Amino acid sequence: MKGADVISELKRILGDDDLVVSSNGNVSRQAYHLLSGSQLYLRGSMGLPVSIGLGLALAQPEKTIVVLTGDGNFLMGLSSMSTVAYINPSNLKIIIIDNQLYATTGGQETSSSQINYKTMIEGMGILNIRSFDLRDMDQDIGNLLLLESIEEEGIYVLHLQVEEDTIELDNIPWHPEQITENFKNRHKGELK
Amino acid sequence: MIFIAIVECNLLGETVLMINTIEILDYLKSKGFTLSTGVPCSYFKNVINSLEKDDTLQYIPATREDEAIGIASGYFFGGKQSFLLMQNSGLATIGDALTSLAQLYKVPLLIFVSYRGLEPDADFPEHLIMGDVTENVLKAYHLPYWILEEENWQNILELSINKMNEISLPVCLLVKQGVLSL
Ligand SMILES: Cc1ncc(C[n+]2csc(CCOP(=O)(O)OP(=O)(O)O)c2C)c(N)n1
Ligand SMILES: [Mg+2]
Repeated sequence: MKGADVISELKRILGDDDLVVSSNGNVSRQAYHLLSGSQLYLRGSMGLPVSIGLGLALAQPEKTIVVLTGDGNFLMGLSSMSTVAYINPSNLKIIIIDNQLYATTGGQETSSSQINYKTMIEGMGILNIRSFDLRDMDQDIGNLLLLESIEEEGIYVLHLQVEEDTIELDNIPWHPEQITENFKNRHKGELK
Repeated sequence: MIFIAIVECNLLGETVLMINTIEILDYLKSKGFTLSTGVPCSYFKNVINSLEKDDTLQYIPATREDEAIGIASGYFFGGKQSFLLMQNSGLATIGDALTSLAQLYKVPLLIFVSYRGLEPDADFPEHLIMGDVTENVLKAYHLPYWILEEENWQNILELSINKMNEISLPVCLLVKQGVLSL
């Protein structure tokens, strides 16, 4: 499975009310083109999707927050995971789409390939971490694993090793100010 | 409500004016702030001590200042308002978070920045160069800023919060030694 296959499958699994934060580059483009709803597509702030997800989870405790992050983004903001583990918000779900590359900038290698994500994340204090190698996996089995993992209660981290994407998607047509407005409109009126 | 700056003695026994941290936190709460985050500076020792004891205004200890901008921005995207505390050294860390997230996505943030590297820091060379360039950095970032003072602090805060809301962008308050902690 590729990153885009994972995100396409998430479209079927995620609820309409779930709030998604996607990391800059290809992951945000895929989230824009392949998911429904107005999500928080990051266009810059590499390394910050997890911290933005944490802030969102604290502001919207009744909602499920899903952070979709590339491995390069995740590793750049690695220390923010320890803050997340410390605060432990039960509505935060972090999905690492690990192609072991900075794919967006031309496919340079990241330092991801030798990391044991399970040990690393457990060591930070998050015990609910699952790690799957989807690279040679049959799509149906991969989809099933995703479905099972996403349904888990409480905070979790899902680390997915994926094949490199082959399809290039168009840039996101929305200006960031519009991304903010559309996203905030989703919970307008719900807050006092 | 009447606001006063309390008079305290420093280690040398000199009396100094200082903003009461409980009063400033109450003021921020009255303005709708419900969360805080940042990385400590000794200038914020009293404020963070009070925040850690406060049940109504949570403080999230960030590992980096750019992470704090991420947390505070996420909180705003969720419809709520937080403020930040950081040393001016952190101004060097937040560049991308500020320009490609908070400013680009129009996120209002109130950032308290300790102003290190002035006269009291003569023996702290680690602060001197950043102290020298701090206001130029804020100007280069196009960050509106005010210097927080013991007298009239509520007016300065009101001005900065109004500006923050009016432009829906981050604004800064520079905090010198002794204003919020000895
Ligand atoms: C601070 C910063 N440095 C570098 C870049 C350039 N850049 C944009 S996307 C990206 C790669 C992100 O990698 P990853 O999160 O693994 O996503 P992938 O591209 O593999 O989908 C890089 C390095 C940037 N946007 N910001
Ligand atoms: Mg990658």
